[in-house]
Amino acid sequence: MVELWQGYGLPAIILVAQILVVVVPLLVAVAYLTLAERRIIGAMQLRKGPNVVGAFGLLQPWADAVKLLFKETVIPSGANQIVFIAAPMVTFTLSLMAWAVMPFGDGLVLADINVGIMYLFAISSLGIYGIIMAGWASNSKYAFLGALRSGAQMVSYEVAIGFIIITVLLTAGSLNLSDIVLAQSGGFWNWFWLPHLPMFVIFFASILAETNRSPFDLPEAEAELVAGYNVEYSSMPFALFFLGEYANMILMSGLTTVLFLGGWLPPAEIGFLTLIPGPVWFALKVAFVLFCFLWVRATFPRYRYDQLMRLGWKVFLPLSLAWVVLTAGVLVYSGSLG
Amino acid sequence: MPAEIGFLSMAAPEIFMACAAMLLLMGGVFLGERSARLITWLSVATLLMAALLVLSVAPGESRLVLLSDLFVTDSFGVFMKVLVLAASAVTLIMSLGFNEREQIARFEYPILVVLATLGMMMMISANDLIALYMGLELQSLALYVVAAFHRDSLRSTEAGLKYFVLGALSSGMLLYGCSLIYGFLGTTNFSDIAAVFAGEADVTPSVGLVVGLVFLMVGLAFKVSAFPFHMWTPDVYEGAPTPVTAFFAAAPKLAAVALLLRVLIGPFQGLAGEWQQVVVALSIGSMLLAAFAAINQTNIKRLMAYSGIGHIGYALVGLAAANEAGVRAVLIYMAIYLVMVIGTFCCILCMRNGGRMVEGIDDLKGLAKTSPGMALVLAIFMFSMAGIPPLAGFFGKLYVFLAALNAGLYALAIIGVLASVVAAFYYVRIVKVMYFDEPVGSFDRPVGREMVAVQTVTGLMILLFFLWPGPLLAAAEAAVRALFAA
Amino acid sequence: MIIQALAFYLFSAVAIAAGVMVISARNPVHSVLFLILAFFNSAALFVLMGAEFLAMILVVVYVGAVAVLFLFVVMMLDINFVELRQGFLQYLPVGTLIGIILLLELVLIFGGWVAAPEAAANVAIEIPPPAELHNSAALGRVLYTKYIYLFQAAGMILLIAMIGAIVLTLRARPDVRRQRIASQVARRPEDVLEIKKVPSGGAG
Repeated sequence: MVELWQGYGLPAIILVAQILVVVVPLLVAVAYLTLAERRIIGAMQLRKGPNVVGAFGLLQPWADAVKLLFKETVIPSGANQIVFIAAPMVTFTLSLMAWAVMPFGDGLVLADINVGIMYLFAISSLGIYGIIMAGWASNSKYAFLGALRSGAQMVSYEVAIGFIIITVLLTAGSLNLSDIVLAQSGGFWNWFWLPHLPMFVIFFASILAETNRSPFDLPEAEAELVAGYNVEYSSMPFALFFLGEYANMILMSGLTTVLFLGGWLPPAEIGFLTLIPGPVWFALKVAFVLFCFLWVRATFPRYRYDQLMRLGWKVFLPLSLAWVVLTAGVLVYSGSLG
Repeated sequence: MPAEIGFLSMAAPEIFMACAAMLLLMGGVFLGERSARLITWLSVATLLMAALLVLSVAPGESRLVLLSDLFVTDSFGVFMKVLVLAASAVTLIMSLGFNEREQIARFEYPILVVLATLGMMMMISANDLIALYMGLELQSLALYVVAAFHRDSLRSTEAGLKYFVLGALSSGMLLYGCSLIYGFLGTTNFSDIAAVFAGEADVTPSVGLVVGLVFLMVGLAFKVSAFPFHMWTPDVYEGAPTPVTAFFAAAPKLAAVALLLRVLIGPFQGLAGEWQQVVVALSIGSMLLAAFAAINQTNIKRLMAYSGIGHIGYALVGLAAANEAGVRAVLIYMAIYLVMVIGTFCCILCMRNGGRMVEGIDDLKGLAKTSPGMALVLAIFMFSMAGIPPLAGFFGKLYVFLAALNAGLYALAIIGVLASVVAAFYYVRIVKVMYFDEPVGSFDRPVGREMVAVQTVTGLMILLFFLWPGPLLAAAEAAVRALFAA
Repeated sequence: MIIQALAFYLFSAVAIAAGVMVISARNPVHSVLFLILAFFNSAALFVLMGAEFLAMILVVVYVGAVAVLFLFVVMMLDINFVELRQGFLQYLPVGTLIGIILLLELVLIFGGWVAAPEAAANVAIEIPPPAELHNSAALGRVLYTKYIYLFQAAGMILLIAMIGAIVLTLRARPDVRRQRIASQVARRPEDVLEIKKVPSGGAG
């Protein structure tokens, strides 16, 4: 019995605890991201944003959550019930799964697997399923059109993201996320955003498209598609979509941080900066990228669909492909590749 | 390092073709649709240049294995590659006028042909099951596309789709066979497989291995369109644009036969007892089916499809003998077949009435009066295919049947002779239609200088083969020796 | 070890069940979704075997890209599968017969399986122990050295696939209005605007 407990019981409990330590703050972060979005965009547009519920509106997300919880779940009569219910779950689960390999600090990672970056890429490429399933199962033309747009868009931009990831992992020489971060140590001028500056820009634009954010939020274009794939959803299923989408935004910001902004590393190896723990740096950098997400949303008008496709296939893809060749060439020439 | 580069130069023709195809593709993309003619001629030049390269890096008597034992060059490869390249080049030239008239002249066609030919060369040089499959897929994928090249024509797209679906099926069988062979031998390399059988004089192969080999042969039999894996042939030949059909009937068939020889004689020579029965069955089936099914055809392209099935049957008679004389006969037969089929399709491509292509046998009525030159050439090819001496086709059949008789395959040889007697009926019927029926209309003229040139040259080759057969026989002899030395 | 064995049976059972559902589901979209499930479980089996790189590639390529496009096609096509299955019963006896024959053959083959003594000796490449070399690095080493020829050949095949797709489907449409950003930006008011004086007052 003791053996069983020590062999399986205890590790299992530790594992669950670890998962909770990652997931709970994440969900809180998602809640406050929605508040931050409304406040920041409000500020940019010279409005106030929600400021009534609690001090500075800090209780607003909880009020929203309670509201969504108590609403009625409506399943359209023509819908394919199982797929309809499964879709938001898929979206939500996938957005949490990816966090398993995210390094928050030196050694602070749930699963330090060797192919971490591949795992992240694989999971993020699956995010599309929730959307397609929702669009198809809703049995509504707006939802379906939104899902199709979203699918084509995510597949297109994934290609560019894949190539950019290849340039980074060529430079770092590893598929392990912690190793990628450590390869950038030594101050912010050693982070990969500098040598790969064009790719950094393209990557940021691509993750906007990958998360269906403005200015690439055509799948949810409220003016044309009345909110796209989630038009038929209400209550908890809708909340799951919402959570999944924002968790994905944070995930992609985290990925940007790891690939280009030195992960948990301080911007310079100066005494007091190194005293601040890694997870704090990580959180700060993620917050910065998220701020850029919101900034873009407040600034740019929406792309037209053909422009979006053109940008993905005719600009980002060739550029990132050329950059892979260039990077590999430079690495081979400088002898830093084995 | 230098040794490796020196070794790589043995693969120069393939490397050259791959690079040239990509350059031509870029050229075509930048020059736009108007460049079709230019790209076609450049592709022909590429093919001929590759043939020159093949001859210049020919390893002579020796046999070189390179690229980590995946690629082999020997006299057999040189013989087959030169024939394949020549066939591709000539059929490409023949396609020019047709494509322009049918408004499907686009620069991608010659490039796809070049890439398909590259695949065939890789097949011919394969020294590993994986290399075999890669070459085969490279070739097949390009062929599926060119079969559907006339995309506004329902028949062409149907042909492409049918070819694709059945081709994928056959690839699946081939892969299944390969995986069984790998599972039972632990290697995919031809040299290693041959070594397994070389060790013991009296091998009793495991059932799995034999089943694997049979699946492999089924896949290849599909590619050479031997009975009972021929069903795609008539439909695809009829539906595809005629120059594409000409190409299908010539180069890919030759390459597939080369691959069959390479596989059966090379690594699996030790299993000859097992595969001989299969080859005999394929051969008899093909000969008989072609002889009887072709009689009722009214469309000349369908007729040629059945005729092609029959010819593969005769060629397999030689392979069934499983000795040097037999394989030499196969090589000679296929070389002669290549010339005959290209010439015949060149005549078919000239069957235009009022600007429209016609394909019926009835349309040939009285051809001897309206265009006597073409009638004469076509008659030569028909007599040759029927095996009437002293035309080249007769010698092809002669060598094949002699080899079978010497190997003791009397029944096979007798069936072959009977089948060719039946087959002669429909060949001679075409001659009768051309010479003894009243003309119903005449074909458009002029047919184009390149067509006349191809018809004349191929016709003369078939007619005068018996005067100077030496070079072909010698080349085939060298090729066979290289194959058996492996 | 127990957990590994349990995981293996779980994943393989789900994979097989999903495979069965792929061919038996009435709704084609469900079939594709089950196919994805089967892919997933195969990837999990790869992970159990220590081939993480292959597992991830399987998910990225098959689940993340191929199946998505497949799902697109299936969703867009309005195929009545019930109608397609009309002939199913008619062909069932022949199909079953062929299936049984194939099954018997397979049983024969694997019954006669001798883990061929020569097979082990013929293995082309030594598999490096996982502790020394990570499996993505090991794959890279053989792929870019020993099998570079096949790797390049695969590249040519994909090139053909691309050319084929473009040749067979791309149509130049002359009647579509295209955006020309340069001319849009270079447009001047006097080119497109005409200012007219409208007489005011009186029904003149």
